[in-house]
Amino acid sequence: MRELFHEIASSLRQNKLRTVLTGFAVSWGIFLLIALLGAGNGLMNSFMGNMDQFVSRSITVQGWRTSKPYAGYKENRSIQLDGKDVALTEGPQWKNTITGVTAGTGSFSATLSLDGKVVNGWLRGVSPEHQEYGKIQMAAGRFLSPADLQEQRKVMVLSLSQARELLPNSPDALVGRWVTAGALAYRVIGIYHTDEGDFRRTCFIPYTTYKGIYDPSDKVSSISFTVDGLHSLKEHEDFQEAYGDAIKRLHSIAPDDRMGIWISNGYTRNMQMSKAEGIIRIALWILGILTLISGIVGVSNIMLITVKERTHEFGIRKAIGARPGNILSLIIAESVAITAAFGYVGMFLGMVSCEILGKTVGQKGVDIGFETIRMLENPSVGLDVALEATLLLIVAGTLAGIIPAWKAAKVKPIEALRAE
Amino acid sequence: MALIELQGINKTYDNGQPLHVLKGVNLSIESGEFVSIMGASGSGKSTLLNILGILDNYDTGTYHLDGRLIKDLTEKQAADYRNRMIGFVFQSFNLISFKTAVENVELPLYYQGVPRKKRHELAMEYLEKMGLTPWADHFPNEMSGGQKQRVAIARALITRPRIILADEPTGALDSKTSVEVMGLLKQLNHEDGITIIVVTHEGGVANETDKIIHIKDGVIGNIEENTRHEAWGGSVIK
Repeated sequence: MRELFHEIASSLRQNKLRTVLTGFAVSWGIFLLIALLGAGNGLMNSFMGNMDQFVSRSITVQGWRTSKPYAGYKENRSIQLDGKDVALTEGPQWKNTITGVTAGTGSFSATLSLDGKVVNGWLRGVSPEHQEYGKIQMAAGRFLSPADLQEQRKVMVLSLSQARELLPNSPDALVGRWVTAGALAYRVIGIYHTDEGDFRRTCFIPYTTYKGIYDPSDKVSSISFTVDGLHSLKEHEDFQEAYGDAIKRLHSIAPDDRMGIWISNGYTRNMQMSKAEGIIRIALWILGILTLISGIVGVSNIMLITVKERTHEFGIRKAIGARPGNILSLIIAESVAITAAFGYVGMFLGMVSCEILGKTVGQKGVDIGFETIRMLENPSVGLDVALEATLLLIVAGTLAGIIPAWKAAKVKPIEALRAE
Repeated sequence: MALIELQGINKTYDNGQPLHVLKGVNLSIESGEFVSIMGASGSGKSTLLNILGILDNYDTGTYHLDGRLIKDLTEKQAADYRNRMIGFVFQSFNLISFKTAVENVELPLYYQGVPRKKRHELAMEYLEKMGLTPWADHFPNEMSGGQKQRVAIARALITRPRIILADEPTGALDSKTSVEVMGLLKQLNHEDGITIIVVTHEGGVANETDKIIHIKDGVIGNIEENTRHEAWGGSVIK
């Protein structure tokens, strides 16, 4: 092995400029591949990160506006979910599939005040399960408990951004204190986490409390539940279809109206997202590999010229006992060495540029109104990609070397010796 | 059986129109002989040498080298025979330009898979024999023609081959160096008993050998015994 390296080194030193120019093409190819994958990962990370708060295995249904006239109703009709929908959801039809049904109320706008400081908020009645369905992370205190609902307690969970405005120095200390909301006072039992720049204003209060005070009807704004026993994407889609149709029938919505109700399915969305992610990743790999191919063609081209120039040398080697296999492996090894060495330079630069991208563009957020999102979060490639790229380089180098090596190996020694 | 035994060797090149180069060559060379093959250009002497060196193949006939039939060998077998049985000395030296003298000498052993250290020791030993120890780490373009040819001879000898095939070994050297190189080959033949075959068109070079084989128009002519080295009136080279 060491001998082979020695052989390679001495022949590459023969043609430094050419070696470098060839290598540049490979470096460039790998650099673009890594940079593309890194940026793609960053985009994906931020996308997933931003979606994270909505993603769960739960399903949430909300009323929307119809887009088609049906059964005597005009289009653009507001759909309001109510007790019938909750009963259908909890009913016998899907009792093996649907569990943990909870309903959320509409919201009631109120001004929260504490010691002269005010902030506005939207009171919303929910069940304890909403913490899981809404992926709510607590910053302090606790979320609603079943007892809160049972006793219709006047307690609330508000957002960290609201807590900061009411008690700027120590928002956590708000837990346990009474805050006035409109004409009533609520005791704060918990504060949920919101990121910097996330100005969510929803304050969660027990479902029963809300119904008792603000809305005695059986109207609900959303129904959430968990599904069990569905294993494939197909089963999930079929279930969602059947469930959606049943709700549509209750409200006389056209079966093919996609706008009447809105169903948010964490599972299928997850699946679709990872499918999309996979497609994007494959597209990036293909782009990168296509770029790399031009580098490989460059190496192959140079190796062909090299082989032609060194024909006489190969003739000497053959005359003194080199087997065709020796020549073949020498050329392929040279090709792999050039590709790998310059490929690693490209890979390193690609990773460095990913880091720079992460430190600059990645830190910038884009304001989308109620919160800021990052366009690139942690754009980098993992060890697995580095290993794959290494493998790719070795394969590429071998491919680039095969034709020239074959030419060199099969030339007859007598002809090779005559060549100048 | 002699070390080299050629029977009815025919060779035709076909480049557009057929060219019958060797027309039934019969030749036998015993182990330990020092012979020259002489002929004008186009006589077929180089083709004969290439066949002897297993660098080229022949159409009909048989070639036995050390009792083994050399025919229809794979490239790999041919390479192994060349490596172990034959040492080449060329007119243009054929050293690898980006390797030092000692690396050039080592190369045949590299293809035998001899470990690096052992290889280096042996190569230094042979360079010493050629009086080239101070030049071991020099590249070919830093050496004179005579020195290069001595490096090439060291490279030919390092595998302890049965035969040295020298193709116009003095063709690129001045007369003084030519005498030295021929003297060296003679010494190797006398002292180490290595069979040496020199191909040349120069009478003076052939005169240094013990047997002169004349080849003309692809057939072997007369074979002169030349033990007293007077075949060309005792003429010196050039």
